[in-house]
Amino acid sequence: MTAVSRNEVFRRFRRDRLAMFGLVVLVLFALMAILAPLLVDDDGLSAVASLDNPTWARPSGDFLLGTDHLGRSVAAQFVYGSRVSLFVGLMATIFTIAIGSIVGVVAGFAGRWVDAALMRLTDWFLVIPFLPLAIVLAAVLGRGIWNIIFVISITSWPSTARLVRAQVLTVKERLYVDRARALGASQLHVVRRHVLPNVAPLILASATLAVPISILTETTLAFLGLGDPTQASWGKTLEEAFQAGAISRSAWWYYLPAGLGIVAVVLAFTLFGRALEEILDPRLRER
Amino acid sequence: MARSTSQDVVTSQDETGGVGMAQRGLAAVVAGLVVAGIGGLSLAAVAGAGLASASAADDRVTLTVGLIQDLDTPNVTAGFLVSSYELWNLQYAALTDKAAADFATVPGLAESWEVGDGGLSYTYTLREDLAWSDGEPLTADDVAFTINTSRDQEWINHFSSTANLEATVIDDRTVKITSAVPDPKLPLMDVYILPEHIWGPVAEGDITTYEALDGVGSGPFTLQEWKSGQSWTMVANPNYYKGTPAIDQVVFRVFTNGDAMVAALQQGEIDAAHSVPSSSFESLGTTEGIEAVFGQQGGFTELAMNGMAGGLGDGHPALQDVEVRHAIHRAIDKQALFDRVILGLGTPGVTLSVSPDPAWKPVIPEAEQYTYDPDAANAALDAAGYLDTDGNGIREMPDGSQELTFRYAERSESDIAAPIRELITGFLEEVGIATTVDVFDDTQLTEVVASGEYDLFVWGWTPFTDPDSMLSYFTCAQLTTDVEAIGYNDANWCSPEYDELYAQQNQELDRATRVDLVHQMLRLFYDESTYVVLFEDADLQAYRTDRFTGWTRQPAEIGPVIFSNSSPTYFLLQPIEGGTGDDDGGMGTGVLIALIGGGVAILGVGASLLLRSKKNQDERD
Repeated sequence: MTAVSRNEVFRRFRRDRLAMFGLVVLVLFALMAILAPLLVDDDGLSAVASLDNPTWARPSGDFLLGTDHLGRSVAAQFVYGSRVSLFVGLMATIFTIAIGSIVGVVAGFAGRWVDAALMRLTDWFLVIPFLPLAIVLAAVLGRGIWNIIFVISITSWPSTARLVRAQVLTVKERLYVDRARALGASQLHVVRRHVLPNVAPLILASATLAVPISILTETTLAFLGLGDPTQASWGKTLEEAFQAGAISRSAWWYYLPAGLGIVAVVLAFTLFGRALEEILDPRLRER
Repeated sequence: MARSTSQDVVTSQDETGGVGMAQRGLAAVVAGLVVAGIGGLSLAAVAGAGLASASAADDRVTLTVGLIQDLDTPNVTAGFLVSSYELWNLQYAALTDKAAADFATVPGLAESWEVGDGGLSYTYTLREDLAWSDGEPLTADDVAFTINTSRDQEWINHFSSTANLEATVIDDRTVKITSAVPDPKLPLMDVYILPEHIWGPVAEGDITTYEALDGVGSGPFTLQEWKSGQSWTMVANPNYYKGTPAIDQVVFRVFTNGDAMVAALQQGEIDAAHSVPSSSFESLGTTEGIEAVFGQQGGFTELAMNGMAGGLGDGHPALQDVEVRHAIHRAIDKQALFDRVILGLGTPGVTLSVSPDPAWKPVIPEAEQYTYDPDAANAALDAAGYLDTDGNGIREMPDGSQELTFRYAERSESDIAAPIRELITGFLEEVGIATTVDVFDDTQLTEVVASGEYDLFVWGWTPFTDPDSMLSYFTCAQLTTDVEAIGYNDANWCSPEYDELYAQQNQELDRATRVDLVHQMLRLFYDESTYVVLFEDADLQAYRTDRFTGWTRQPAEIGPVIFSNSSPTYFLLQPIEGGTGDDDGGMGTGVLIALIGGGVAILGVGASLLLRSKKNQDERD
């Protein structure tokens, strides 16, 4: 695998329509998150600043996506909510991949008892039911963005670790690694120059696919009331809408944007990630 | 315990209402949260389970009551939530009862009483042939045991009534109760009498940890089963002194979401609902076959500040400055909270409400109130030296040592906690005060408050009829100095002047003088502003009219029908012949599932995509 040049990757990627669609959607959401202050007035997030607004207003010229039970603009919550959802998704993924990769590389490369110990640890984390552990951790640690990121990272790294370890094991046995060793290369050198570059594309693809899991987890935790109560996020919007009775009131404009936003971002990341994975992994491509 | 003692219900508008004692709002929800979690699927499952148990009750007449707060414990020496008070109201009779209409003292276990010693003692004569639900005779020994033991061991819910009392058994049916000081509450003896043959053998050290699932009582219904986080079931007591109730059993079903509870009521899965969300209340009132009850019994919701007056803790030093507390009081637009949070269903708050009887409430002239005025609040903080010297929008202490950033503790078990927090933190921001928010379930919050590790929190109380207990909470004696023995004084504030007034009113037999003393106390408490009473919230309840008649408001006309001071409704209810309310069509469950459907669908889409990619990875391995 990985014997694919950079240009080749790009070319193949562009030919994959779904992947391009995913990429475009992601870019749009990223722009929305970055440009949030330019798009909407953040007064729309404040219950106090919204005291003069009507509550439960339907979408209109004044409020593009209507208002909620406190008169806050749903559009503002949607736009600012994308920031937290994407931020948590990306940060959690970075930590997940970092932990997973380190454990995977060390286990795969060191072998023997180190491998055994790390893999048992990984197994242990793998068999713990994910959501209850995340709920308990979030409840114990308190509600905050970084705690959520920590919770997601600590519960999501095992599959990456297993994946990376498997790849390291195959790379390790390659002839050129043996040669490098024979020429006196140090362990570190081998890891840096031969193992990591070979595992990197896999890690990248795995990371892209970990983002949607992280975003969904953040949403789930926020929906359960375990998110940061002071930060607008899509999960929090859903939770508040649910608690405020938006569903029985048929105030679709309150919960639908956040729900669709999550679906769109998760779908986009998944399409993008899968395309990347197929391109970078020849065995998948040949199917 | 943090709130309430023997008789004041604390409530958290949202979830609890008030039975006769103080309890704090929603305990149960955390467990509920976890359950609801998991995608809410289990929520539906819980609902389904409740349904099954209700309808599987064959031909027994079952009243099903929905609520949002689980029991904290059935143990009356340890619990303090409103839901638990409802349990005890049904399970334990008292020597005297309170009339449904006006709380007048009427015979309970005692059929008559005589005053002696110039009002310091009363001799109560018990009814003939009283028996506990398990058949054991109920005698004067049980009464004396309860009063004397609760006094000696300072049982949380009894002590404020029995602290000065001494009970002496004259014979099986006669007990003499002597008060060490004049007691304006007598001859009212509103303490739950416990069976000595059950509680006597429990060692003092184990008393608060006793599970109390024995279900032995003297009230109309006794506990049969408690499924934590789901429901509890109480069965009719054939030995109840007024006779066997017309209802065979009462099932209290715990919901994790007010909307789901309302849907269940509309579908006939439950017969009555307590703590209906404000947003659904109006529409329920216009629904045919459902009666919505706007029950007032003096409950209120307050913003409390940590006064650090001798209790445990590490409260922010700024809050010990009464100028800062006044500024906070002035920074908060109570009208906005009233309009936006409880949708005008109640009364905007002024000072502590200590009784459903408005006579105890002092009139504070508008000019002397800390009305909403953020400019005045800012000016006062500037004048007191709390300036924002570094220009980050947050004031610092006069010595510059610390910013005015307060820890705000929010309840997870309340559907109004989040909107209140959104507004209050916003108002505080306008006067240069920042907040960090932590969310706790009621059990956690009780400990956090008791240990003083907070700056601000919002919770509520429902007072008992006599103002004494509510007033007692803010005495120095109720400060928590040991987390093992939590006191009620959750504002961590007290003053000798207040204590002195408290002691006076506690022994004042002349009502007019006592009212005046209480007014002075409430004025003092208001001026100290460790509590900002946000609003007096009503108990919003609703019941179906097609299955039972006899729903009784306490007090008459304005009170709630269930979770009232002594909860007379349950015994008075009569099933309607051919009533249809108990249909178990499963529609409600369907609605619940639909509610959750959206979330699950989203998760499903993601999951299926992820599973696919995982599968690929596995192959690659």
